[in-house]
Amino acid sequence: MTFPITSLILENRELGLVIAVLIGVGFGFTLERAGFGQAPKLAAQFYLRDMRVFKVMFSAILTAMVGLMVFSGFGLADLTAISQSAVSFTYIWPMIVGGLLLGVGFIISGYCPGTSLVASASGNLDGVMTFVGVILGSVLFGEIYDASAAVQAFHVSGNKEFLFLYDLLGLPAPVLAAIVTVAALGMFLGAEQVERMMAKKRGEETDHDAQYRGQRKLAFSALGVVAVVGVATLALPGAPRAEEKAAVAPAKSGQSISQGPLARRVLDEPWTLRIIDIRDKAACEKASLPGASCVPQKELAKLNLRYSAGERDLVLVSDKGLDKAPKGAAHYPGDVFLLKGGYAGWKAYALTAPKPPEAGADQAAMEEYRFRAALNSVLTGVKPPPPPKPAGGVPIVAPRPKKKGGGGCG
Amino acid sequence: MERSEKFWNPYVAGIALGLVLLATFLIMGKGLGASGAANRFGVLALDALAPAHVAGNSAMAGLKAGGHGILDNWLVFEVLGVFLGGALGAYSAGRLRRGVTKGPRVSVPMRLTLALTGGVIMGVAARLARGCTSGQALSGGALLSAGSWAFMLCIFAGGYAMAYFVRRQWT
Repeated sequence: MTFPITSLILENRELGLVIAVLIGVGFGFTLERAGFGQAPKLAAQFYLRDMRVFKVMFSAILTAMVGLMVFSGFGLADLTAISQSAVSFTYIWPMIVGGLLLGVGFIISGYCPGTSLVASASGNLDGVMTFVGVILGSVLFGEIYDASAAVQAFHVSGNKEFLFLYDLLGLPAPVLAAIVTVAALGMFLGAEQVERMMAKKRGEETDHDAQYRGQRKLAFSALGVVAVVGVATLALPGAPRAEEKAAVAPAKSGQSISQGPLARRVLDEPWTLRIIDIRDKAACEKASLPGASCVPQKELAKLNLRYSAGERDLVLVSDKGLDKAPKGAAHYPGDVFLLKGGYAGWKAYALTAPKPPEAGADQAAMEEYRFRAALNSVLTGVKPPPPPKPAGGVPIVAPRPKKKGGGGCG
Repeated sequence: MERSEKFWNPYVAGIALGLVLLATFLIMGKGLGASGAANRFGVLALDALAPAHVAGNSAMAGLKAGGHGILDNWLVFEVLGVFLGGALGAYSAGRLRRGVTKGPRVSVPMRLTLALTGGVIMGVAARLARGCTSGQALSGGALLSAGSWAFMLCIFAGGYAMAYFVRRQWT
């Protein structure tokens, strides 16, 4: 078995939701024990008195990170699948501004959204007020977002899709995880040094961590050892690492398909196609190609297209056409087609009644007209006008158009 | 306040928290979160008052698309658990009692006003950044997402930059 257990999200959903509650209990309990149900303990981070927020947060990050590297290194977990389902795309500008704002809100309220909930559960009214504020702020953002095109544009600015630091730095993930671990352990020691300096300045007895020395040593060693094991898995000869599995289908940029050939295939052999409309959900649900499923581009990764069988040809429908296949579709094992001109082009081609050719037009033009008229009639239900007389009274033997591009649909 | 200090060593608490997060990644294929559920609670309340308004709002309509309930989401269940776990932790340490946590120099009404204000700012921030300290910084940080790390560093930057101006509340 390879983690994650996807059935908990799909067919065993009820069980998944029960587990969600249990996970939440674990989350809430540890936050409470960390001291995060009390605002002054959190706020102390920002006055350098007690760097508990930094220590807890980063030890948690290190633990989950190196743990995941080991699971993935032994082929027990699919790092790519987990990363792409658990984290959003990187939108660098809204994330920078959102982070600054959240930090400001954090020190004003004394909590972050999650800890305000723990504080509420502990009976602290300031926690309740903060959580109510978070709810109000979320809705407020929804209203601003809906009203302002500028906010909508900013919300998707700096889109880097899925961007991970190990890809950015060109390092194997476990190696970067180990580097981050070493750096963080060093910073923990630095944070303690700062705490001691600040305590001395206030004339207090320092070293409130003295009683924890043994535990700290154990914690640091454990994190270090697991990080090293993660790196060591890189040397495993045949371990089915997630990165290698993903490399089965190399990234492709996709080939362009124009409306005519696609329309013929939609009518003649729709079962050879998997059409995905990657426009906004609302636009797609209003109107799309026959048989198309609506999956906005930013949710494409959730389909895990790289792990599908790929026996059908993938056709992507965008607003106005794409230059290359988006990341979520680039590793699809079958052929990837990009509809030329996107939905706008399709609408102009298939949903607009064709202009009848001049009398005496050549056979190809006649055939093209007949096809488009038939297509238009099938898709819109409007009866086509009768075709004009063919040139020279020659009966038309409509040649079946040759399939273009080979499309892998034997 | 230092009366019943049953707090864990921060590194031990962090490792425990990290194990919860690791289990979430492995079992659910998701990260931990909080603000996403808060958003759903807010939209639910608004939907009870003005359903047509919610249906027409491009940021909210998606939450009830396809006939799904607004609360029909794993994060809502997880957050329910956070509340239970927090209460359990406070109760078992003898800390479960009504009160207001604050610094010595600030009045209770002022403290509550600031708590609400900061909450509103964080609500906006979390929607803007697609997650809060839990979902974006902690979960995305552990997965080494570039955006999550930028977000996390900015949280600390924003907090330190603002700390001076609200110091009377805490010190």
